[in-house]
Amino acid sequence: MALLQISEPGQSTKPHEHRFAIGIDLGTTNSLVATVRSGKADTLPDASGEHILPSIVQYSADTIRVGQQARDNQLDDTANTISSVKRLMGRGISDLKRLGDKLPYSFAETESAVPRIKTAAGDKSAVEVSAEILKTLKTRGEKTLGDELYGAVITVPAYFDDAQRQATKDAATLAGINVLRLLNEPTAAAVAYGLDSGAEGIVAVYDLGGGTFDISIMQLRQGVFEVLSTGGDSALGGDDFDHAIAEWILKQAGVDANELSHKVLRQIMQKARAAKENLSGQAESKVHIEFENGETWSGSLSREQFNQLVDPLIKKTLMSCRRALRDADVDKDQVMDVVMVGGSTRALRVRELVGEFFESTPRVDIDPDRVVAIGAAVQANALAGNDPDGNLLLMDVLPLSLGLETMGGLAEKIIHRNTPIPVSRAQDFTTYKDGQTAMSIHVVQGERELVDDCRSLARFELRGFPPHVAGAARIRVTFQVDADGLLSVAAREEASGVEASVEVKPSYGLQDAEIEAMLKASLEFAGDDKDARSLREQQVEADRVLEAIDSAMAYDGDSMLSEDEKATILASRNELQRMRHQATETQQLKDAMKHLEKVSDSYVARRMNASVQKTMAGHKVEEFNND
Amino acid sequence: MSDSLFSQNYFEIFALDVSSRVDMAQLKQKNQTLQQQMHPDRFASGSEAEKREAMQKTSLVNQAYDTLKEPASRLQYMLSLQGIDMNAETDTSMDGAFLMEQMELRESIAEVRDTADPLDALDKISSQLKQKATQLLSEFDQFYDQHAFDRAREVVRKLQFINKAQREVGELTEQLEDEIL
Repeated sequence: MALLQISEPGQSTKPHEHRFAIGIDLGTTNSLVATVRSGKADTLPDASGEHILPSIVQYSADTIRVGQQARDNQLDDTANTISSVKRLMGRGISDLKRLGDKLPYSFAETESAVPRIKTAAGDKSAVEVSAEILKTLKTRGEKTLGDELYGAVITVPAYFDDAQRQATKDAATLAGINVLRLLNEPTAAAVAYGLDSGAEGIVAVYDLGGGTFDISIMQLRQGVFEVLSTGGDSALGGDDFDHAIAEWILKQAGVDANELSHKVLRQIMQKARAAKENLSGQAESKVHIEFENGETWSGSLSREQFNQLVDPLIKKTLMSCRRALRDADVDKDQVMDVVMVGGSTRALRVRELVGEFFESTPRVDIDPDRVVAIGAAVQANALAGNDPDGNLLLMDVLPLSLGLETMGGLAEKIIHRNTPIPVSRAQDFTTYKDGQTAMSIHVVQGERELVDDCRSLARFELRGFPPHVAGAARIRVTFQVDADGLLSVAAREEASGVEASVEVKPSYGLQDAEIEAMLKASLEFAGDDKDARSLREQQVEADRVLEAIDSAMAYDGDSMLSEDEKATILASRNELQRMRHQATETQQLKDAMKHLEKVSDSYVARRMNASVQKTMAGHKVEEFNND
Repeated sequence: MSDSLFSQNYFEIFALDVSSRVDMAQLKQKNQTLQQQMHPDRFASGSEAEKREAMQKTSLVNQAYDTLKEPASRLQYMLSLQGIDMNAETDTSMDGAFLMEQMELRESIAEVRDTADPLDALDKISSQLKQKATQLLSEFDQFYDQHAFDRAREVVRKLQFINKAQREVGELTEQLEDEIL
């Protein structure tokens, strides 16, 4: 039937036109870029052959250094050299207080709630610092391939909340990158692992990076990667192992951290890290520290001591594993493989405890550093349309429940964690006071009952709806989460049609004035976008109407309608079909639909009567649902 | 698959009969086929309109899949197709015997810590709950076939009770396991 205009996937791109797409693993400690060349995905090295780019940025008055060079200068230029910035992504000033005392930077006093680090090149936000890392990788890709970049898939921890995802996307935009998709790191790893091993079944991806931990339970079959559940901790990683060791060193040396300079503290962190890494190969690590006053401390860290220090942290990850299994409704013995990802899974103790927990030996044969970037490159290649015959499909989930604040500071969940995305849900709310004409909407993310324990994502107001008695107004709030896991929220008072909608930006991240400016701008520009959307919605509605009338006419048009009636309805139907494809204004389509409704009014009534009679005659209703 | 997706009920979307029992394998398989066709990843290099349509369609398929996957939400949806609203305020007094049973069950969950083997006790409660759920599913079928939708709704309410208790048992099991760890 010509009624439907369906565009098949891949048709919108010209065949055989190769688009250059990359996958980027933007890590806490290290970052990588990969691409697919001649059907094979691999990470790209820099000019000196290094694949890994340390996620460190050094700002000076006239230059910005990224990567190894910045790391080399870290000890001499502590205040201007920023590492582990991923931990600050999407975080507000209030969050910093928790991390604050561990960070060797000074933060600018600012009106805005977005923390900015003071550097020799001005105040920098986490988004700007991340953008520098992304730019470096983008340039590396373009130089290697000698082509302009079409787009990139950028990976994020599965357990990143909306604010952290949004910040990552903002950083990419700032770096001039077209983001094809934000992809969850464990999902990316599963793609690389699954395609490489050809494995089918249920796998657990245990991803412990420098600053984040993810666990995803996934089902793999025939190129389809379905996430059954995910869990984790977006502030737990190998960095915390280093901290635990550093604290142990300070305690052994009898030194108070508050009396040490940032430089010495950072040196101790580096030694702690080296000691940890050595323990993967030997039973004991020697540690030697020189303090500024010339004193020194020497000692050694045994494996037993190290295990004692990190066991509580690893046990935390195992609790997340247990919850993820329960959410996926999967028993341990159904898990075919445990795939270890992230540099921190090199620690033997991690492998040992994870193995004990899952009662199987974890897979450590894939490169835990590169696997995420490689998986991202595979998806980027598919999304760019370079693999039109491929059947790669990634089905992911929402990591943390989304909800609204209701009376008494309680969070009412609208979409539960581990719901497949994209997803849209609507929920109706009402007023609690007579004559109430406005309602403020507070969107939160998290599993806890109290709003204060959840992450605040956005606040906005719906104003100007007509006064009702308490409980009579109906405010419908619609959440839409897209395939990147990003949320947009729209609210509408049903009786008056008053609408408000907002792209969710972290509420702690922006001043009220900034949000206001954003909303104002969105209202000014919303016109066009809204028209386009409502036209599209009416087109979908028109398709529905056309299909309904066609199937009804095919079923009983001849028996119930005179030739004249049929001609009238058909003429109106054809006009609607024409408008469906030609109308540029919503109203034109609406009018055409109204007209068809009007001319088919009595036909519809007759059909209903007929079906009621048949039902009375003892038939089941389902038989008449032929449309 | 066509635009008619939006006019189909959730069962129709997956080519399933409207029934309290769904073939999970078919549901999964069909879900995958639909996702293959509609997922936004298939339209990543398409126009904004195509992308939005893909998102809307996949959102709908996901919602339908989520609803049919779990018995309680599936039955609730079956009733909604008959115009029965679960959340409507109706004068439903739950049957006394069931409530007594539930109270006893709650008590045994609360007292589980005092038993010799709490984890074992929880396992037993959990299998009791599963049995009860299976029984309720049959009751639902009976009432539904007789078009006794109000009574069918009461069964769904009971099933929701059971699910809640089952979740509590799961959480308590985890707590106890953590304490042992």
